[in-house]
Amino acid sequence: MSGRDLRRGAVVLAVGGLAALACFENPTSPAQCPTFCPVGGLETVESLLSTAIERDSSFAGYVQAHQAPVLIASSVPGVQSRPIWVSLPIDTRFRIDTGTDTTTGPIVVDSMKLTVTVLRADTAAVHNLRLSFYQLPVGIDTATTFAGLATAFAGTPLRTVNVDSLAALSSRRDTVTGDTVLALDSAHNRVALRLKFTGSQTGFSAADSGKLALGVIATGDNPPSIALGSVETGLGATAWWFYRVDSAGKLIRPDSLPLKAPDSLPAPPSFDSFVFDAPPVTLDSNLTVGGVPSIRSLLRFNLPRGLRDSTQIIRATLQLVPAGAAVTTTDSVFLRVKRLLADLGAKSPVVVDTLVASSPPFAGVPSDTVRIEMTTLFRLWQADTNAVTAVYLSLLRLDRVDSIHLSGDEAGTLAALRLFSSRSSAFRPSVRLTYVPRVKFGAP
Amino acid sequence: MTYRILPGLAALLAGAAAASLQGQDSPFGINGLGTPGRFESARARATGGAFAAFDPLSALTDASIAGLGRLTAIATGTTSYLSDDLGGASASRRASRFPLFQVGGPAWSRVVLAAGVSTYLDRTFHVEIEDTVTLAGSRQAITDNLSGDGGVTDIRVVAARRFGRLTLGAGLHLLSGSTRFQFVRNFTDTSSYGDVAQTGEVAYRGSGGSASAILTVGRQLELAGFWRIDSRLRSEENGEKVATNDLPTTYGGAIRWRPAPEAAVAASVTYRGWASAADSNAYNTTGWSAGAEFGRTVPLRVGVRGGTLPFGPGGRAPRETAFAAGTGRVFAGGRGIIDVTVERLRRTGAGLTETAWTVLFGVAVRP
Repeated sequence: MSGRDLRRGAVVLAVGGLAALACFENPTSPAQCPTFCPVGGLETVESLLSTAIERDSSFAGYVQAHQAPVLIASSVPGVQSRPIWVSLPIDTRFRIDTGTDTTTGPIVVDSMKLTVTVLRADTAAVHNLRLSFYQLPVGIDTATTFAGLATAFAGTPLRTVNVDSLAALSSRRDTVTGDTVLALDSAHNRVALRLKFTGSQTGFSAADSGKLALGVIATGDNPPSIALGSVETGLGATAWWFYRVDSAGKLIRPDSLPLKAPDSLPAPPSFDSFVFDAPPVTLDSNLTVGGVPSIRSLLRFNLPRGLRDSTQIIRATLQLVPAGAAVTTTDSVFLRVKRLLADLGAKSPVVVDTLVASSPPFAGVPSDTVRIEMTTLFRLWQADTNAVTAVYLSLLRLDRVDSIHLSGDEAGTLAALRLFSSRSSAFRPSVRLTYVPRVKFGAP
Repeated sequence: MTYRILPGLAALLAGAAAASLQGQDSPFGINGLGTPGRFESARARATGGAFAAFDPLSALTDASIAGLGRLTAIATGTTSYLSDDLGGASASRRASRFPLFQVGGPAWSRVVLAAGVSTYLDRTFHVEIEDTVTLAGSRQAITDNLSGDGGVTDIRVVAARRFGRLTLGAGLHLLSGSTRFQFVRNFTDTSSYGDVAQTGEVAYRGSGGSASAILTVGRQLELAGFWRIDSRLRSEENGEKVATNDLPTTYGGAIRWRPAPEAAVAASVTYRGWASAADSNAYNTTGWSAGAEFGRTVPLRVGVRGGTLPFGPGGRAPRETAFAAGTGRVFAGGRGIIDVTVERLRRTGAGLTETAWTVLFGVAVRP
């Protein structure tokens, strides 16, 4: 290669390198607004939309007591609640022989172990939480009332268990009573117990095919308001029957039978619910939420088209003014907003997703305006202009708080709250909207 | 043959694909229509722009293309390193632009035609602002990033013809182009406030006409005069008009004296009526330049220019001064030309001092 070619190549490389350098750019200049900034920059506007909520109303009967995800156990005066359930029947006779002899022998129950999950076992607030188990008539159903079981609860309980004492055992097992702590989740105040019932405590009745109806009264140093797990969430109380088989007066271990029957028979609940003495909640001109059966309020949002189409919403806060309590409890509760798939009034289907909004937790009646951040929902309504701009507002019992969301249960509290509706001109619900109007680009 | 410089031209054009056809942006233009481009080739820029009115590779005048004795394609690229000082706050920028492309050559009956694109207004900028706003009764910290990328491009078709000592030229201009804007606001309190990002693309439309004349007096002296008028600049976003701005009438004159075959000096003055283009922060501008060229094979070019800028805050037009020097080389028996220029620029106004080093490359190909 000649020197001339080398020089030529070097020139081409230099030009190519400079062209590559041209790809990089940093146009950032120091900012001093408005003198050295573009005209019509971003502007943030706050607006109180006092008439954004319209045609709001309340409807009752969404989640009944027997459909609730938890069974409320409360001894707070005026709002007492007692979980009740009845277990499935079990086989009460087993074949003794595998051959042609079809003779069966009756079972003889020697003990029963009940697995039960205690939710919201707030030991710091209650101290010495005790659960007293009462045997109830097996005919309990959705029509059973608090007053109807007064006689049954007035008797002697089958057993009483001190949950706090049991949970405090280092071995998590009471060798005297045979009770065991299966799981202890102190973060969520949740305790799973296996309680042993022996002899007459079992309440076994062969005539009822082993069906057992139980009711619970929760007591403590302070009136507790807790909950037990229900069938709806897979945490229903299950009875495990331990038995022998009577073969002509001789008690045989079931696992020694030729058919190798299990040594215990599970009996999960066929029905569970709770009965309570809280007064029924009536609907009025206010918005009402909470209670059992649960009450929801339907809020319809009228977002001005100019704001919906031509702004970017950066914060949307729903403001609700409390009008008092229909039922007061000591529960920690919060308001939840869920958007609707279609606006069909009381029977509107909700959208099942994580786009929900919640108020901060509170107890009783909030002393100030309740504010719910709904920015995500408003942004969604901007993006999908066909979406229904209506929500259900409900009152949930606080289950737990993580870094992002509150979680809770509808019909998990007897508390019922009233909020001023749009029919109250002075305290009607409103929306505080913070948004950035569309920038008019290109105008110097 | 010109194949020797074709790779260089290809590399330059490749860079053009990566960068935009814009002039040198400035913070002074952010609040206005932008920063006006300069219709000068790299070799004219080396003389401060004083030779541009006579330079067939520049796009300042129409009559000058009469000097294109054969088909010629030119491209100019610039890379600028800029520093800004605003009340003690300083920042550095870098910008690469390809402000001038043109093809021209003799057509018929001594008429020379040319067509090309050049920067009319550069609207590229980016500012980052940290501030607080009052929301829900409390101060919220925010960071705004405001940027624009693009500008207005001048597409011109011109014709020129020599009539003895007088050369006349005229041209039609279409103004086109667009700017992509992106305004982003981030809140420090992300749990309460969502971020905002707004984008938009503004397209520009306009037209204009120009005329110019070059008179040769004796053997050593040339005089040039030029005039240009543009329509209003229409800005549209999504097909909707968002703004209409008057554009300036431009006129100016230049003189070139060639006392010896290998020496020439020139001076020029240009007036542009930008004051009507925007609000009170727009000003009419007057620019001047003076420069000289020595030698033929590897000439030395020097120049100085000064004047005012059309946009800037404070009620007074910002001022600019630049010194430039450069050289060039003709290859392949005149079929290829490469020019290189270095310019030092200083702009001042309203507390802002902007300085820049700019390197310009010009490539001309004559097949």
